[in-house]
Amino acid sequence: MDELELLKRDWRKKGKDLPRLSFDEIYKMIWKKSSSIVKWIFIISVIEFLLPLLLYLLPSMAKSLAIWRDLGLGNFLLISNIVQYGVIFFFIFQFYRRYREISTLDNAKQLLVNILKTRRTVKYYVIFCLSLIFLSFLVMAMGIYLSDDPMAALGYSNKMQNISPENIKTTMIVTVMAIGVVTTLVMGFIYFLLYGLLLKKLNKNYKELKEMDM
Amino acid sequence: MDRDLEHKFVTELEHNQNIVHRVCTLYTNDKDSHKDLFQEITIQLWKAYPKFRGESKFSTWMYRVALNTAITLYRKSKKNVPIQDYESVIFKISADEYDPTEEQQLKLMYDAVRELGDIDKALVFLYLEDKNYTEIAETLGISEVNARVKMNRIKNKLKTILNP
Repeated sequence: MDELELLKRDWRKKGKDLPRLSFDEIYKMIWKKSSSIVKWIFIISVIEFLLPLLLYLLPSMAKSLAIWRDLGLGNFLLISNIVQYGVIFFFIFQFYRRYREISTLDNAKQLLVNILKTRRTVKYYVIFCLSLIFLSFLVMAMGIYLSDDPMAALGYSNKMQNISPENIKTTMIVTVMAIGVVTTLVMGFIYFLLYGLLLKKLNKNYKELKEMDM
Repeated sequence: MDRDLEHKFVTELEHNQNIVHRVCTLYTNDKDSHKDLFQEITIQLWKAYPKFRGESKFSTWMYRVALNTAITLYRKSKKNVPIQDYESVIFKISADEYDPTEEQQLKLMYDAVRELGDIDKALVFLYLEDKNYTEIAETLGISEVNARVKMNRIKNKLKTILNP
């Protein structure tokens, strides 16, 4: 006999031994909050959308805006802000559209594709933000390089007599670039760790389904 | 949502709850997770219910949502309860039909099914629930031919386990 037929026969017999929930127990369940992966993806994505925007509200960030102006980079900041908000709204719109497409009524493969697509929108958004962060450090380094008195722009008025201005400039550029690289890498690492953890199961199952259809 | 809809939904689910319990026993290893998954499937079914137009049977529609929840939406809880600690009813052999060889075989097979990946499990589940390959293929989003090929591979795998 087919091994699975044996299993099937046994499977059918098990029906009467399964747990049984009452009407009231099920009724209570429909009002409970979902803890599905999609919900977590939604919450985390919204946080990821908001976080870069919130950074601008911090007092230290407001102070650094003044530094940008003093370094003669005000225009860059304005243009990059316009571009940034434009792109952010595009991403939020895309994310919302994809999120709406997720439905448990699709077949398993389509559902996985839709969830992964939604998440990919956020991935591109984060890559965009990380690039922007890195770029701003790069531009700041250039500003220092082109500025006549970068120390004054950063708010340090007392001049250091025994160090040549060239040395100060080089040190500042190296420091700004180092901070830029570290910030970008740390934020990128945290993000991709979170991304990987959230999607581990989905990616595995999607791969399994895709391999089946090859 | 009006109360009629709630009442209708809960009655239908109460009547068909075995399907959900069976999915839960295959995809979870302990009682708490079983309850968690049952609850999540119930929430997802309820969320999707307004879109259920009665074109198919309530139970047919349930298979899709329940499996989708188990395969994609459900996050396994961190608690690591060893499988041996939890002997679900579905994996127990009824005492009245005790047959040492058959019992041994079934136990080996249930263990093997549990070791399968999420997607393979879904295939076996639908097969055990007497679904035809068209339905299996539609639920998973693969072609019918591939569903057959895959099922044969699983059958062979089980055969090797039973006849080493």
